[in-house]
Order: sequence, then structure tokens, then C-alpha cells
Amino acid sequence: MTQAAPTAQPKKRLVERLLYGDVDRETKSRARVGLVILAFACIYAVISGRLAYLAATSDGQSARRGGGDIVATARPDILDRNGEVLATDVRMPSLFGEPRRIIDVDEAVELLTATIPDLNASEVRERLSSKKGFVWLKREITKEQREQIHRLGIPGIGFRAENKRVYPNGASVSHLIGHVNIDNQGIAGIEKWLDRSGLADLHSLGFANDRQQKPVELAVDLRVQHAVRTELLAARQKFKAKAAAGLVTDVNTGEIVAMVSVPDYDPNDPREALDKDRINRLTTGVFEMGSTFKALTVAMALDSGKFTLGSALDARHPLRYGRFTINDFHAQRRVLALPEVFTYSSNIGTARMALALGVEHHKAFLKKMGQLDRLRTEIPESAEPLVPKRWGELNTVTIAFGHGLSVAPLQAVMGISALMNGGKLIPPTFLRRSEEEAAKLARQVVKPETSDRMRYLMRLNAEKGSATRAEVKGYYVGGKTGTSEKVVNGRYSKSKLLTSFTAVLPADKPRYLVLIMLDEPQPLAETHGYATSGWNAAPTTAKVIARIAPILGIAPRFDLPPADRQILAATASARAR
Amino acid sequence: MSIRILHLFVIVALIVAAAYVYDIKFEATMQAERLSKVRGEIRREREGIAALRAEWAKLSSPARIEELTRRHLALKPLDAFQIDTLANLPERKKPPEPQELLDPIAALITGSDALETGSVGKRSAP
Repeated sequence: MTQAAPTAQPKKRLVERLLYGDVDRETKSRARVGLVILAFACIYAVISGRLAYLAATSDGQSARRGGGDIVATARPDILDRNGEVLATDVRMPSLFGEPRRIIDVDEAVELLTATIPDLNASEVRERLSSKKGFVWLKREITKEQREQIHRLGIPGIGFRAENKRVYPNGASVSHLIGHVNIDNQGIAGIEKWLDRSGLADLHSLGFANDRQQKPVELAVDLRVQHAVRTELLAARQKFKAKAAAGLVTDVNTGEIVAMVSVPDYDPNDPREALDKDRINRLTTGVFEMGSTFKALTVAMALDSGKFTLGSALDARHPLRYGRFTINDFHAQRRVLALPEVFTYSSNIGTARMALALGVEHHKAFLKKMGQLDRLRTEIPESAEPLVPKRWGELNTVTIAFGHGLSVAPLQAVMGISALMNGGKLIPPTFLRRSEEEAAKLARQVVKPETSDRMRYLMRLNAEKGSATRAEVKGYYVGGKTGTSEKVVNGRYSKSKLLTSFTAVLPADKPRYLVLIMLDEPQPLAETHGYATSGWNAAPTTAKVIARIAPILGIAPRFDLPPADRQILAATASARAR
Repeated sequence: MSIRILHLFVIVALIVAAAYVYDIKFEATMQAERLSKVRGEIRREREGIAALRAEWAKLSSPARIEELTRRHLALKPLDAFQIDTLANLPERKKPPEPQELLDPIAALITGSDALETGSVGKRSAP
């Protein structure tokens, strides 16, 4: 400044010096470059600072969103044949703790137990005092509890939304649908089948945790299922039976429209499921089906061609075989025509038919009808039939009327369906199946004419045989009673019975087969001291049919001619054409 | 000189490009945020729908409806005799001929005795 004062010439130099400095060009340009570097460094510092900030904040967010959100796996919905929800997932908050972040364990325990009374205080304290990073405190709390705990603001306590399986219809569909464990894995019924048919693999690969899975449609009709269950509960109470079971199947497709076994359990609270009394008697239990099996024996006799509806069978005397004497419950003591053997449910008559055809023929026929092998369906519960190891003539005699061979009731239903639907054996299914699909799976086991005759016999039985109490006006029901004595300590008990009733409706154009079973029904005053099938299982079946037939869309028809004209004559003329 | 203009042009282009890229980036971030927000909303809605469906299924379960019906309604299970086909319906009766419309007020105004109703008729007939 002081140097620049005197002249104009230095003034100009001063300006030049202030503008360009009095240094040489090289130093000047270096300084400029330095300035630019500094400016850019500042800009980059700001950018990287911002980057670090963004990374730090959004990282936590995305981690919460992506990872570990779904702990209990998602499952597809299960619907009935009309689209009613049988099982679905809802999101439920679960409570967890992070022990390392907890400041005051005692306070946390106190506050939590005050909000959720059923929380075990000592267990929670133990978990929160551990060195772990993460502990579950309670799975599946309510939304209100979540809100309350959230407001308490305890550090180190958090929530995670988990999928919880809900069965809106409770016990109605229990045995059929099964249930899941706390981690939403199927452990029984259709739920287990879902896991086995690929869902578990999807889960392990990390897929299938979306809600967008295709729902599974079952063949069951919830309304029919409920109607059957209500009637069974009423019948079980009325006859003081130990258990009751009912099954409704479509004879033309093999679809199981209803399957009930009471006592059952609530799949929302499956602890009771382990109770031995609550097993599914239709698939897990094997029983001697009693006279129901006579349908198979008579069909075998008719199908062999050696017997016709006009054949006569001697039932004048009890049948002696070794030290055993086979007697009739409704003993007629005369020669019976074949239809009478069926309607009077004659043990002697059916035994004679089976003996006439021989042991091997009998065995081969039952094998063909699927009665000697384990029947497998979608649900994992199944039981092996109890087949005698050495099958002699005596076995054939007793098996002919349903003793000495124990099968799962579902299996017997499959066999009898085949006798009704024109002779096609169709494996039963819990899933939807069309008639075309069923036709591909079907195996012709008896002649269509045999099937016509069997339907005639079933209907005849409801008109004037042991099944008259199962008649429901308008639905042309045909049926067969079955009463077997249960084995107690290796002997047949006279008082402990298993009664069953198999009904086909309508008998001229069969659509559904209904099986009702009562375990140890007691005789009542109104049944005149009888506890056989015709007095308990048959009227129960009538009640069930009266309720379910309108639901199943079967139009009632009145004033139909008796069985010999409606079934035998009509089908014979149809085949002749 | 031309070099300077070129420099100027390039610098301006650079600034414009940077601003444009920043704008796009900003827009993209906004869109991504909106997307994740909407996804979250959809998920919540789906969960809500599932919860409502479960509740509806529970409320409309046959067991509950039956219990309510038994308690509050006089309905009874359907009997087969209550079902019939359309063909069995009797022939429909012919609808009655429409009677001539009589307007009581118009009759009053015109003073005609064609219509005698109520107190008016009584008074006019001594």
C-alpha cells in the first residue's frame, strides 16, 4: 500500500499487482489449480458426508423391512367347495425382548406382567437376564396388548408381526383339515398334506412368504359338514354312545363331501387332538364293519354268475363250522331267496354264498375291492386293515358277514360306492375332482348289472327290510345296516356294539353315499331295549339325509314305484335298448 | 477466442447436465419411496382384508348362524314336502278386470250423487 502512493505509473502497476500478483505465471497458475482442488474437495466432502448419512439412515429401515419380518411362515387359504374359508392366515403381533438393550429387568418384568396377566414372571425374568441378543417373550398377543405395551415405552422390548393360522369354523372341520404348530407348519390332516406337497420346500428356499398363494379348494361342503356334525352330536348324546362318525361321499367322483368324527377338537387350540378318544375313527381306526360287509359278499355272489336274484339259500339251521355255530339275528328258519338274505341280514345265507365261491375267490374279490390294502388319501392319517394271517374257510365264513376283517370305514365306503355307481372303484379324495378326472382313475370291479341289482337290494331293504327306519320320504334312500360286536379281552362282547348304517341316495340314480357309525350306543326305552343298527344308526342316517339332501341339491320326488320297477325294470330296459 | 466460447459452452452444458441428473435422481428417489410406501399400504390392506375375511367366516359359520336362528327366529329345518317343481304349480288365475276409476273429490265438485261415501252421502240424503 505504502509503496503504491507516489505516481500514476506505480498506480497502474499496483492494479496489475493486485490483479495478477507480482509473481511469475507458473506460481500463479499453480495457486489457481490449488484453489480449484480445494473447491472440489469441499464439494466431494459434502457429497460423501450426505452419502454416509443416507446410508446410515435408510440402511436400518430397509433391514427392518426385508429381513426376518415373517417368522411364522405364510400358508395358502383353505376353502370349501363353495369358497367358504376353512383356514386362513391373520397377522398377529408377537412380543420379543433384546436382553442386551434392557436397562432395568425388574421394571420391565413388572410392567409386562401387569399388561399381560398370563405371562410367567419368573420365566420372563430369566429370559431377559440372559446374554442373548433376541428372546421371544410371548407369541401372538392381541392388538390392544400391543398398543398398551407400546405406550409403556420399555427399552429393548419390541414386536414382530407373525402369521397365525385361524380356523373360523372351529371344531366343525377339525379331523379333515388338521392343524398347525406354533411355527405355522402343518402337523395333521390337509395342513400336513399341504406341507408335504411342496410348501415346505418353498419355505426353505425363502419363497412362499407372500400372501399371494393360490388358495386350496377342498371337496368338503361346510354346510353339509356342519349338518352331519350336529346330528351326530345329538345322536351321540341320545344313545349315550362313546363316539360317533359320519361320512358323505359323492359316489361318481369319490369326493368326500363331509367327514365328521366326534368327539373332535378345536384346531385353533389343538392340545386336545392328542387325546386317544378323539382320533378320527373313519381313517385312523379299523373296525369290523359287521353286516355292512354283506353287501360286498352278495355283490361278489351276483357278479360271479353262480347266483342270481332268484337263488335260494338254506337258512333253516344254524351253520356249524368246527366248534363255531353261525346263527341269525333275525332268524327265519326257512329257505330264503337271495333278496331275503340281504333284507333279513342273514349270516347263514351270506356265509353259504361265500363258501360256495371258495376262499381264494373271496380273497381275490376283497383285494380287488381295495379292502385288504392300506387306503391312502391326501390326509396322512391312515390305518392298515387287520387281515387274518392264515385265511381259511372259517375266516371266509365270518368275513362274509363282516367279522374277522377290520378295515377303515372310509375303505368300506369306497368299496360300497363302487357297488352303487355302476361298478367303478374310485379312490376317495378330499380335493375337488370332476367326473372326467374320476373316470380316468376309476377301475371297473363289478359288472354294471351287478351294481343295478345291488342298488335294488339296498332300496328293497329300506322298503321292507332292516333299514325301514332310514327311509326319508322323497329321496328314495337305499341302505344297509351293520352291527358288529366289539372284541373285549379277545372275546366278542354282547353289550358293546359298533353299529353303522350305509345309505345311498337316490337309489335309482345314485349320487351320494352316507355312512353313519355309532360306537357303543346304549339301548333305550324307545328302542325297546335294542341297540342294533336299525334302531340307532338308521334313524340317525334318516335325520342326516333329511337335512343334507336339500343342501346337496337333490330334488325330492314323491310317489315313485317300488324298487323292482324303478330300478330293476328301468335299468334292464335301458340296457336292452 | 473460439476456444473460450467452446469452454464456456462446455461448462454450461456440464452444469445443465449435472442439474438434470440431480433432478432425475431426486425424482427416482421420490418414486422409489412412493413405491415402497404404496407396497406397504397394499400389504397392510391385504392383511386387513384377510383379517376381515377370517372374521366374516367366523361370524357366518353355520354353527353360529344355527344357534342364532334357534334363539331368535321361528324357522325350522326344511322338509322335503316344502320343495316342489315349477311344473306342479297350478295355473295362474286371470287378474281381475280393472274397475272404473271413481274419483270421490271430482264427484263432490260436480255435485253428482253418483258416489255416496261417508258423511257426505248421509247429509245429502235427508
